[in-house]
Amino acid sequence: MSQTDLEIVVDDPTAPEENSPSVTSSGTVEIIVCLLLLALAAILGYDNWRTGASWDSTGPEAGYFPFYLSIVLAGGSLYGLIAALVARRGAAETFVTRAQARRVMAMFVPTLLFCLATQFLGLYVASFLLIAGFMRAIGKIALWKSLLTAFLFTAIMFVTFDIAFDVIMPKGPLEAAFGY
Amino acid sequence: MEAFGLLLHGFAVLLTWKTLALMMVGLVLGIFVGVLPGLGGPNGVAILLPLTFTMDPTSAIVMLSCIYWGALFGGAITSILFNIPGEAWSVATTFDGYPMAQQGKAAEALTAAFTSSFIGSLVAVLLITFLAPMISSFALKFGPPEFFAVYLLTFCSFVGLGREAKHKTVISMSLGLLLAGVGMDTVSGQLRMTFGSSELLRGINFLVAVIGLFGISEILLTMEERLALRGHAASISLRVVLSVWKDLPKYWVTLLRSSFIGCWLGITPGGAIAASFMGYNLAKRFSKDPESFGKGRIEGVFAPETAAHASGTAALLPMLALGIPGSGTAAILLGGLMVWGLNPGPLLFVEHKDFVWGLIASMYLGNVVGLVLVLTTVPIFASILRVPFAAVAPMIVVSCAIGAYAIQNAMFDIWLMLGFGVVGYVFKKIGIPLAPFTLALVLGNRAEDAFRLSMIGSGGDLKVFWSNSLVGSITTLAIVLLFWPAIEKVARRIL
Amino acid sequence: MALLLSAPAFAGWEPAKPVEIVVAAGAGGASDQMARMMQAAIQKNNLMKQPIVVSLKGGASGAEALMYMKSGEGDPNKVLIAYSLIYMLPLSAKIPFNWRELTPVSVIALDQFVLWDNSAGPKTVKEFVAAAKAASAPFKMGGTGSKREDHVLTVFLEQKTGAKFSYLPYKSGGEAATQLVGNHTESNVNNPSENLEVWRAGQVRPLCVFDKERIAYTSKVTDTQSWADIPTCKEEGVDVQYLMLRAMFLPGKVTPEQQAFYVELFHKVTQTAEYKDYMEKQALKPIFLTGKDMVQFLEEDDATNKSLMTEAGFVAK
Repeated sequence: MSQTDLEIVVDDPTAPEENSPSVTSSGTVEIIVCLLLLALAAILGYDNWRTGASWDSTGPEAGYFPFYLSIVLAGGSLYGLIAALVARRGAAETFVTRAQARRVMAMFVPTLLFCLATQFLGLYVASFLLIAGFMRAIGKIALWKSLLTAFLFTAIMFVTFDIAFDVIMPKGPLEAAFGY
Repeated sequence: MEAFGLLLHGFAVLLTWKTLALMMVGLVLGIFVGVLPGLGGPNGVAILLPLTFTMDPTSAIVMLSCIYWGALFGGAITSILFNIPGEAWSVATTFDGYPMAQQGKAAEALTAAFTSSFIGSLVAVLLITFLAPMISSFALKFGPPEFFAVYLLTFCSFVGLGREAKHKTVISMSLGLLLAGVGMDTVSGQLRMTFGSSELLRGINFLVAVIGLFGISEILLTMEERLALRGHAASISLRVVLSVWKDLPKYWVTLLRSSFIGCWLGITPGGAIAASFMGYNLAKRFSKDPESFGKGRIEGVFAPETAAHASGTAALLPMLALGIPGSGTAAILLGGLMVWGLNPGPLLFVEHKDFVWGLIASMYLGNVVGLVLVLTTVPIFASILRVPFAAVAPMIVVSCAIGAYAIQNAMFDIWLMLGFGVVGYVFKKIGIPLAPFTLALVLGNRAEDAFRLSMIGSGGDLKVFWSNSLVGSITTLAIVLLFWPAIEKVARRIL
Repeated sequence: MALLLSAPAFAGWEPAKPVEIVVAAGAGGASDQMARMMQAAIQKNNLMKQPIVVSLKGGASGAEALMYMKSGEGDPNKVLIAYSLIYMLPLSAKIPFNWRELTPVSVIALDQFVLWDNSAGPKTVKEFVAAAKAASAPFKMGGTGSKREDHVLTVFLEQKTGAKFSYLPYKSGGEAATQLVGNHTESNVNNPSENLEVWRAGQVRPLCVFDKERIAYTSKVTDTQSWADIPTCKEEGVDVQYLMLRAMFLPGKVTPEQQAFYVELFHKVTQTAEYKDYMEKQALKPIFLTGKDMVQFLEEDDATNKSLMTEAGFVAK
């Protein structure tokens, strides 16, 4: 008897509603992405052209391949842009609903804050804050469980990396106070 | 059969309690680092390398290579259960492995992955056993044009055999190639696309990109749905194992083809990443039912895993015989050899027979022990899934950050990882494939360097890519694969 | 316990964190090998309480390591194992770096360069030069990196002999070695350590060493030859000389006590059996310079490299 197909479904008090209104359509996002890629292609193309993009006596120069790749990227994005504009007249497919967007932000914003905290407080403190905060605020898990889990996980990581294997992670004032 | 006698001698060197204990420790550590996303084989081996300095070379290499096997096995677990490739070469495993897990066939997928890893490695080890003494001369045939031809083959097989909208594949691949070029150009020694930033100087590390594209973006995507874990539990029962093994003979062509691709790319060295993608794409191409790939077909697990592991193992051959590391992990092992006072190269086989054959014997034993270990411990590793997602998600984020940082000890890479996470999220939602992007990011620089060195060597003459039968046949094959859809159409009309 | 008891007692400062040896090259290269030798020597002989880790920063041909050291101002837990790139990279790629911003610790070795060809190729420098001149396509010279020591040597070889070479910049000396063995290049100017194994296997032949005097090691490397049997290039009528430093640096703005600790540490390293063994195996020239001697050496070496780079036309405008 194998228990192979158990997908673990955890209670989810904040699940996104099915009928949440759309924030934006895939077509719009595609247009934005293509425009951004076009801009990127233009910047990189210019930089490579400046570096030197010709074919001299010893073969291509440093900017040769990247320059033409920028053109290929620009071409691909332009095609994508036109295709998306044409397709836009048809039915718009939802890129993300409002409820989904809220949820993605609930993950993305803490991750962003975590990266920021890592820069100033060091990875371990940031990791403790992220895990405890996320479990408590988003997962609605009991405070003591959140704090304990966060502490244990962070401690295991610290012992494994910084102490046992000398993989040195960014550290902040707290570790410095303990002499690390 | 000189090799056979030497191999037996190798086993004799190996069969002590101390060595066997080291093997077990190495395998468990390896599975652990393999499961952690972003840590993976090369890093895991690198991190654990200093542990071995006080050991004698044979024990040290046995332990290190077992860490390596463990990481290879472990990489498959997260790919299939979480859709997070622990290793770059597990990316292709997620294509069908994760859908299988979603359909409740996680145990089958895992058994298939472990079994095919085992088969791939075994084929490669057999190859090493018999080829090691004579490989040196063949690998030496590879100059810049040959290297370029192999990379070209990999790219062409991707574009030609890919099923996504062509312009999206082109966008993805050209973006990857461009980002691969950021930093210093080796051939001219010039900086490019760095815009004066000292962070961009070192280029965009491929592993950092992968951690962001696959790790972070997947967490974001998961959040859109219910706050339930999108991973899958699996405990592998003997029944499942036997039923998968019973079906093995049906897939012998796939297994053999992937083993061959893997060994070839491992030795040449095109690398395990290219091998896994090629193995997957060719299996899809030659399948009677290519549409079912990507939707949870067991062959889609067999093909990339066999190829990746055959390649990862075969990569040790040029490392030992020539001192050319065929993969990142092989490069770390190479560093280890030197610390222990051994110089890799053809003479290693003459002067340190104990070491070489001890290592080769440990590949056999490590594989067998590893297969048993991994099949029995999956429930333990899968038990991570019983933890609520609200706890797992931030832990994965932290592991990803540790992984991204540890690669180059750079805070900038954590930001880069976050950026790639957003890019991966958006690309996945609007259907731009990520695989060509990662492939291009890994091989882009090497392909360009190989091309330009060929040009310097030939004085700018493109005929160099057809200058001998070896390079000529690879280049021609590459072009055939690029235009395969058209060729197929024409061929159908004629027939 | 053994570790605690035998740990040497330093009067002054001592690292409280693991120490990073920063390598400005990829895995398996000469710098990496040397860093790992020192790591082993320090750990095996308990020269330091804190562990030592090797961190590879070979990105952008080593520029990554230089910028990393520069940004680590005041951090006494990073030591750079430097070579000629500290002079050359700022010139060729306009990297905003100057070795004077770092704290010099000690010069620990000098590395030789040897002209090699395939063992099936010409047997002496004279035959080699004649063959290179007579060839219809220029001889291919393998080396590591562009506009760096190997490339500079190639340019000078061209100037002194009148023969033309196409210089192929590979990613590592190991690659340059195997490409020579595979006959994809006609020659290379590798360091002894990079070609050692293929020489012992009889696949390449050393033609001459780019130094004033022959290499001192006389024990046999191959069946018939020792390092000392390789003639100098000057003896063979090609007057090109170049030695490359291998030196340790701390980031800028560290305290004199911290600097003193590392001077002492690396001095001890040079006394270990591991170091001596390594020097002989890799045919490196032993040297130990520190303090004023070292700065004077660096200034002179910098001037030499600068004039070589300028003459070769490798200085970016």
